[in-house]
Amino acid sequence: MRQTYGKLLPGMKLSGLSGKLIVVEGTDGAGRTTQINMLKPWLEEMGHAVLDTALTRSALAGEGIRRAKEGNHVGRVTQSLFYATDFIDRLENEIAPALRAGFIVLTDRYIYSLMARAIVRGVEPAWIRNLFSVAITPDAVFYLRIGIDQLIPRVIFSHGFDYWESGMDVHHGHDMYESFYRYQTSLLAEFDRLGEEFQFQTVDASADAKVVFTQLQSKILALLERDSRKSFLSGTNERWPEISHDLAEQTAGAVRASAWQDLDRLLHPVAADRPGANGAGNGTAHHK
Amino acid sequence: METPSNALRIGPFEVFSTQPVVPAVRVGNDHELPGRLFVVEGIDGSGKSTQLSLLHKWLESRGYGVVFSQWNSSTLVKDTTKLGKKKKMLTPATFSLIHATDFADRIERNILPLLKAGAIVLCDRYIYTAFARDVARGMDRKWVRDLYEFAMKPTVGFYFRVPLETAIGRLLAARDGFKFYEAGLDLGLSDDPVESFRIFQGRIIDEYERMIPEFNLTVIDATLPVEVQQSQVRQIARTHLEKAKNLRVRP
Repeated sequence: MRQTYGKLLPGMKLSGLSGKLIVVEGTDGAGRTTQINMLKPWLEEMGHAVLDTALTRSALAGEGIRRAKEGNHVGRVTQSLFYATDFIDRLENEIAPALRAGFIVLTDRYIYSLMARAIVRGVEPAWIRNLFSVAITPDAVFYLRIGIDQLIPRVIFSHGFDYWESGMDVHHGHDMYESFYRYQTSLLAEFDRLGEEFQFQTVDASADAKVVFTQLQSKILALLERDSRKSFLSGTNERWPEISHDLAEQTAGAVRASAWQDLDRLLHPVAADRPGANGAGNGTAHHK
Repeated sequence: METPSNALRIGPFEVFSTQPVVPAVRVGNDHELPGRLFVVEGIDGSGKSTQLSLLHKWLESRGYGVVFSQWNSSTLVKDTTKLGKKKKMLTPATFSLIHATDFADRIERNILPLLKAGAIVLCDRYIYTAFARDVARGMDRKWVRDLYEFAMKPTVGFYFRVPLETAIGRLLAARDGFKFYEAGLDLGLSDDPVESFRIFQGRIIDEYERMIPEFNLTVIDATLPVEVQQSQVRQIARTHLEKAKNLRVRP
């Protein structure tokens, strides 16, 4: 049976969440989005229905967070709570229903990024842990680990400095480079601490994207294999269907279509009320 | 990995520390800021807003620097709350969190700096509203209290106690009906808005009653004439303003 980190939200039933919750964590520029964009079609090809989700994609708070961060000071507690609102909206309306429908949920960041960001801003760790104690425990957390020296060219030389990614709200008064360096260094240190506490599976993200992808593939296959063996042995007969590669290609489309219909019904009982929520259902990439 | 320095200083102010700190001041600790924080609580129709506005006028007339902060009024957050309510997207958890976000923004950008500067801050609804409503919606009592740990304990928390039927009578006389979340219609307690309001607000009153001893709230009998209540409120406020002459903006 699935668990949370200590507290249960009203109406959240943990039984029957038969899908897999796979988290990809890492700082900006670690290559999380690139990997998820490769993992999703790969899993679908094997016949798995996949939901991918990321921070600020909630229908409720995504837009509000983006607006608040444009040219305003947003305090550290307010940031934490706004992101928590976005997270819980997706947990209740996307992640949990998808797990119940047997999906593999690939999430680009989870509570750990939010905890790391808050803690380096001086928020008390016990407070932020309590806040996210209602989160569902994932099946695996893959941490794409990268050193500050590899990070700098990837982030700064590709899209330049971003106010928030540079932690300018923390290190104001410094220039963007100095602030970025200090902020990302303390984030990386915090990720290492969280990694021990929450048993991250660390992948060296300074390697070539294809090498990282191969490592993630083998870890995910091991996870799916382990769980299919477990349910086979316990006689619940809930193992992943063994689909040959050719068959996978033929059936993946049909499986996807029908799974999406099931999920869509779960997600949108009052479809007309939630136009923005459709974005979660059509699988299009919309990175922040 | 390089260990970041513990604190960066710009002039005398520490702007960053890797040493964790409590977000602000824990509930239950008296804040030791020069300002004063008076908050009013009670169900809709208890008359608390009227009383706060009368207190506001009185404090201003006595030359104090007074700032008023309303529940649900953060410019950064209120559009999201409005969206959630209009589209009926809010669950008990997101209802709780979006209100906490709004409150945090007002604390961080407004209430806390004002109290540091020595202002008198008046709040129409405070953390006790969130505790009452969120728990009435099924949120864990301790989780919600911990959520608001960053809030300052008010100088005085006034609770305007009124029987449910009196409040309903006042509200129905003043307007057409109840709003969706206000009446707790999201909880499916009853299809009839008035009946749903009655059940939901009854739960809220139970939570308020539990909080009176827990948070040492000052109870005002809200069935008394407005003038009598206000005279009690001013008398209590006055005792917290002695030794606070520096709060005056005018002599």
